[in-house]
Amino acid sequence: MSHLLDRLNFFQSKELEQFSDGWGQTTAENRDWEDTYRNRWRHDKIVRSTHGVNCTGSCSWKIYVKSGIVTWETQQTDYPRTRAGLPNHEPRGCARGASYSWYLYSANRVKNPLIRGALMRAWRKMRETMTPVAAWAAIQNDPALRASYVTTRGKGGFVRATWDEATEIVAAANAYTAKTYGPDRVFGFSPIPAMSMVSYAAGSRYLSLLGGTCMSFYDWYCDLPPASPQTWGEQTDVPESADWYNAGFLMLWGSNVPQTRTPDAHFYTEVRYRGTKSAVVSPDYSEAAKFGDIWLNPQAGTDAALAMAMGHVILREYHLDRQAAYFEEYARKYTDMPMLVRLDARDGRLVPGRMLRADDFDDKLGEANNPDWKTVAYDEASGQVVAPNGSIGFRWGEEGKWNLEQRAKGVEANLRLSQILKEHHDEVVGVDFPYFGGVATGAFVKCDHPEVLTRNIPARRVTLAGGEEVLVATVFDLFCANYGLDRGLGGDWVSKDFSDDSPYTPAWAEKITGVAAEKIIAVAREFAGNAEKTRGKSMVILGAGLNHWYHMDMNYRGIINMLVMCGCIGQEGGGWSHYVGQEKLRPQTGWQPLAFALDWSRPPRHMNSTSCWYAHTDQWRYETLRAGEILSPTAPEGDWDISLIDYNIRAERMGWLPSAPQLKTNPLEVSKAAKAAGKDIPAYVAEQLKSGALQMSCEDPDAPENWPRNLFVWRSNLLGSSGKGHEYFLKHLLGTDHGVMGKDLGEEGGVMPKEAIWHDQAPKGKLDLLVTIDFRMSTTCVYSDIVLPTASWYEKDDLNTSDMHPFIHPLQAAVDPAYESKSDWEIFKSIARKFSEVAPEVLGVETDIVQLPLLHDTPGELAQAHVKDWKKGECDLIPGKTAPNYIAVERDYPNLYKKFTSVGPLLEKLGNGGKGITWDTSAEVGHLRDLNGVVQDDGVSKGHAKLETAIDAAEMILMLAPETNGEVAVKAWQELEKPTGRHHAHLAEGAHHTKIRFRDIAAQPRKIISSPTWSGIESEDVCYNAGYTNVHELIPWRTLTGRQQLYQDHLWMRAFGEGFVSYRPPVDLKTITAAVNTDAAEGSPHVVLNFITPHQKWGIHSTYTDNLLMLTLNRGGPVVWMSEVDAQKAGLVDNDWVEAYNINGALTARVVVSQRIKQGTLFMYHAQEKIVNTPGSEKTGLRGGIHNSVTRTTLKPTHMIGGYAQLSYGFNYYGTVGSNRDEFVIVRKMKKIDWLDTPASGPATGKVEAAE
Amino acid sequence: MMDRTLKALSLVLSYPSRALQGAMGEVGAVLAADPRIAPGTRAQLRRLTDGLGHGDLYDLQESYVMLFDRSRTLSLNLFEHIHGESRERGGAMVSLIETYRAGGFEPDTTELPDHLPVLLEFLASRPFAEAREILADAAHILDALAARLARRESGYACALAALVQLAGGRADADAVAEMLALPDDDPTDLAALDAVWEETEVTFGPDPNAGCPQVRDMLATMDGPRHSATHSRPAAE
Repeated sequence: MSHLLDRLNFFQSKELEQFSDGWGQTTAENRDWEDTYRNRWRHDKIVRSTHGVNCTGSCSWKIYVKSGIVTWETQQTDYPRTRAGLPNHEPRGCARGASYSWYLYSANRVKNPLIRGALMRAWRKMRETMTPVAAWAAIQNDPALRASYVTTRGKGGFVRATWDEATEIVAAANAYTAKTYGPDRVFGFSPIPAMSMVSYAAGSRYLSLLGGTCMSFYDWYCDLPPASPQTWGEQTDVPESADWYNAGFLMLWGSNVPQTRTPDAHFYTEVRYRGTKSAVVSPDYSEAAKFGDIWLNPQAGTDAALAMAMGHVILREYHLDRQAAYFEEYARKYTDMPMLVRLDARDGRLVPGRMLRADDFDDKLGEANNPDWKTVAYDEASGQVVAPNGSIGFRWGEEGKWNLEQRAKGVEANLRLSQILKEHHDEVVGVDFPYFGGVATGAFVKCDHPEVLTRNIPARRVTLAGGEEVLVATVFDLFCANYGLDRGLGGDWVSKDFSDDSPYTPAWAEKITGVAAEKIIAVAREFAGNAEKTRGKSMVILGAGLNHWYHMDMNYRGIINMLVMCGCIGQEGGGWSHYVGQEKLRPQTGWQPLAFALDWSRPPRHMNSTSCWYAHTDQWRYETLRAGEILSPTAPEGDWDISLIDYNIRAERMGWLPSAPQLKTNPLEVSKAAKAAGKDIPAYVAEQLKSGALQMSCEDPDAPENWPRNLFVWRSNLLGSSGKGHEYFLKHLLGTDHGVMGKDLGEEGGVMPKEAIWHDQAPKGKLDLLVTIDFRMSTTCVYSDIVLPTASWYEKDDLNTSDMHPFIHPLQAAVDPAYESKSDWEIFKSIARKFSEVAPEVLGVETDIVQLPLLHDTPGELAQAHVKDWKKGECDLIPGKTAPNYIAVERDYPNLYKKFTSVGPLLEKLGNGGKGITWDTSAEVGHLRDLNGVVQDDGVSKGHAKLETAIDAAEMILMLAPETNGEVAVKAWQELEKPTGRHHAHLAEGAHHTKIRFRDIAAQPRKIISSPTWSGIESEDVCYNAGYTNVHELIPWRTLTGRQQLYQDHLWMRAFGEGFVSYRPPVDLKTITAAVNTDAAEGSPHVVLNFITPHQKWGIHSTYTDNLLMLTLNRGGPVVWMSEVDAQKAGLVDNDWVEAYNINGALTARVVVSQRIKQGTLFMYHAQEKIVNTPGSEKTGLRGGIHNSVTRTTLKPTHMIGGYAQLSYGFNYYGTVGSNRDEFVIVRKMKKIDWLDTPASGPATGKVEAAE
Repeated sequence: MMDRTLKALSLVLSYPSRALQGAMGEVGAVLAADPRIAPGTRAQLRRLTDGLGHGDLYDLQESYVMLFDRSRTLSLNLFEHIHGESRERGGAMVSLIETYRAGGFEPDTTELPDHLPVLLEFLASRPFAEAREILADAAHILDALAARLARRESGYACALAALVQLAGGRADADAVAEMLALPDDDPTDLAALDAVWEETEVTFGPDPNAGCPQVRDMLATMDGPRHSATHSRPAAE
């Protein structure tokens, strides 16, 4: 391409046209060279997809494909416009997503099904002479053979397998396990369905048809804020990010928006140009801190103290000294503040007790239906006690009065907020409140105030049924006293002066948090002042920084109280914005039947993972925290100082929490025995449990009959990312090399549990089979027995939604899955097919018994007004009332595949629904038959709609969900009108004919339709904001009072001192023992620091952390961050290799020494992969652990409460959570870096340069 | 007309299976008879094919997965070593597919086009001069892989060595040295590790126009000899 030949050397053409006054010229020279550039960017097609990763981004991307190869990706820019005055959404996407295509062809990709060599050897040998299930049985029954692969987990040794062989082993193992131990011993862990809901559903549908256990994730990740169900009866419901732009005052509290919500951060930057002020609360100088007009940096873990002090200021200035009219009206209408609480006598003193109920009165206030679940208050006009509409007793068993109208018994009722006026109280009494500031340990400030603070309360004497006379107070009066506010009633521990050192004043908070009192006062005034002027447009964005502490509820309730005091919940531009985890599966009720096979059998088996892993990785055997240490000094009499696992066992026994496995005896056998005895299943199980012939598995987690036997992990890196107590997983669940340095309670001579059976020898290697499905060789894959290669996010069809915006996105197969990989849907379909072939060897049509806890949003949430344990003889065992329910479910094992691939009959028979409402959906099932086609083959699925492909599955979700099918939305709203007696269908009527299909969202992101599943609405006038329909449609919150519940009156809440919010310092986990701290013994330089694991900038959890593009932007391997002062103490300089350890294990990393970090804290951004650049640990002699190697999960009894209105179990709704921030570690410089790259077992292996 | 030696090497570098084990006698014979390969290498190849033919299949497979599927620095996907994480990789694979198509073949495999056994099978169908030309282009990678395998005392090293010889032994010594000099060389050498990890200290003022020292260093690196392989960090995966 020589230009010389085409160019004139000696002439200029006369024909050259000039334009723009000679500034432009048209030339005629050869332009072929431009083709080089055109070809570089030429592509065959562009496909819309997104990244199915747990980041809440849900960003639309263009994937460029050329000759069947993905060449690059760019951000899509075709989001529907927002309304006038509101910025548009795009461009969404960040550097992490932009580097994703690297994964497709990375050397780290899993290319073929892989099986541990030793297992493959044994399998093939057995299969020469045996059928599949017999072959698996033979391996399991030979301890040497089983150990040959179990003990080598995590040490390489994979061989490739064909899909046929791999699925056969999995199917045989599942069939053997179901037959031998029970189907509930087959576990599956997969998180956050919203990020790729069809892929999630593939596995959970298979497990649900099998009778396997689907494990929760949101609570395990500790992203679930239990304060949300406690206050609102809702898991998490938050404003979309665009609503930040409507805020007048915006607080970022333990959330780092620019770093972790990158595609949404623009709304935050933009609103500041509108004049919105912002306060950022973060111990370190985070990326968000520089956006704040003010930066508050409290000591990590003391946020509740800060929030309490702000609450103190707001109450003083906006509720007491002056009553802001809007705030007072809001408190009266939308909160439990007017409700009456009994003052119970305890050792001659008074403590706040239960909320008074209609049932407590002689005439039950005329309420025949559920009087024990109807809370009461004084009506201003009549001066009488009334049971106002909306409490949970009105939700079940009657219609038309479950609403927030200001009415009681059909008459207008204006509820009295306070009894402060002389004519409204009979006497002023001292009431005891617990105070925990004095129990602080370690680096946290210890207060010298007493553990019980008695404060004066205006009380009224009320005569109850049977003539009993009690003192009652309003929640509001107790609430103000709890904040230590002097109301002119005299007495101690109340204050009028912000500078008093009395609990909950700003001066007190300054001492604990290190934040100046004047800053606390200024922020509280700005926050409340703005809310008063704007009617609630003050917002708090909060996150994991607060929620991962053991006492997260206090941090959250402290903030929630501020928002409720100022009327911010349910108002556009205001409210509680907890963004942790992509928890919002918008078309949830369309997805549930697909995911849990509710079209074929109900109920599915669900398990809360935190309790399950705590028991089955044997972390309970090492528990250092006694319930007595966290008990309230005001606790009612009782047997409270027991082990945390004992609480969990009691909760399972009373039907509060689920169990898995459920019964020690195989449920398939129990049903046979019941039949043989000629008894009804629930009655038979109740009788056998009472006699002790049947035992719940939870009582003996280490008995081999009660082990989880098979575990599927998909869409997750359980061991590399979320596995709190990583080393305990390795030791007990997997049975391989581990770094646990502590001793268990038996060896330590600790106090033994009362309920849990202790085995002197802890099991090692409970799992028979660990199957991981992933596209990259993650840490979990490395530890698995079978690794199945899955399609990446540009190679499969799926759906994706987020809480950050109201759009629904597709993932689409831009190219076929690379190498041998298949989509999750196809993988589980092939396992289902193989299972149906293999199972008849040992299984036919069986009757399974599913143990079901008392569920939220069902009448079961009214089961236990009082705590009674049947095993202690406090009540009879009544399944579904005083204990879990036991429900017979038919399992047609030979037909599992046919059921998997078709839409079953129960939707037409029983309808569909969620959150307490059910609607008829036979029309939609009919439409699905038309859309997906009908199964023609003979058998159970004949005539049903097909579910062959992932797109078929996506269409099922979209067709059934109110959010994506306007006709269903109208039906759903109409159903809600029955209990509330109000008109709601208007919210969806305009969208009646809107039906969103997979091809629609492939064309452009589509906004969903308003649905009663969620508490916000989609509208042209307001942004999505949680609590909107509660405030504006008067739909009650799903709590005891039907209002925002600021007082928690359950017995266990009162026992643990959490009736009202308070500041509770981090708990002492005692992980730095003299035995483990060899550095202290040797006098070597080291420092003990609080260990926290925030979200990082270079990855989304562990995804992208093995991506070289992202590693290049970081330091390229595991790092920890510490302050200059701490570094100096330990003799460290930037970039040194350090080891961080405690009794749970050890990790190795480079240290980043930064001015940004507050003294006393060690940061390790989670979750940096163990497989990348991690040297060996000197402490354990093994490859340095991950961030979870130094953690161990610890349960909290108040999270186990069930059968009590909003405190009832729901999958990922309520339950124990895996907190991990109260942990301390010893940090020291490593003496010698060992990459553990020398031969592991003799010269035969050869040198390993860069293998594992 | 097929170049049976290239085809044989394609087989040697494929995942071991029973069928492959059965063919190893024949494969060994082909390689042993090719004068283009040095006598010493031919002897090593004989040992390799014998080992592949008669070894325990599971051991062979475990070793193959560990070496070629799991070790990034030994990947048989050639572009891993050329383009690594860069966006050029997709485009390069597209060109390679087009080369196969121009040669009259459609890839019929789940392996990517840059997988070495795939390339070798294609080259076996091409005139040797052309094959040699293409191999020569990749010679520095083949040479580096041979050296890394030798470092691990793996028998597969000779297969890569044979390919280098077939390419005319023209590997660019500098390029090979650059690949082999990657910092994972001696991970116990702390000083070397520190050098790789170290970032330039940021200094503020007094000259506001002096520019950012980190950017300066990055530019200097980019101006220097091209880094052909993926690792710029010590890797102990």
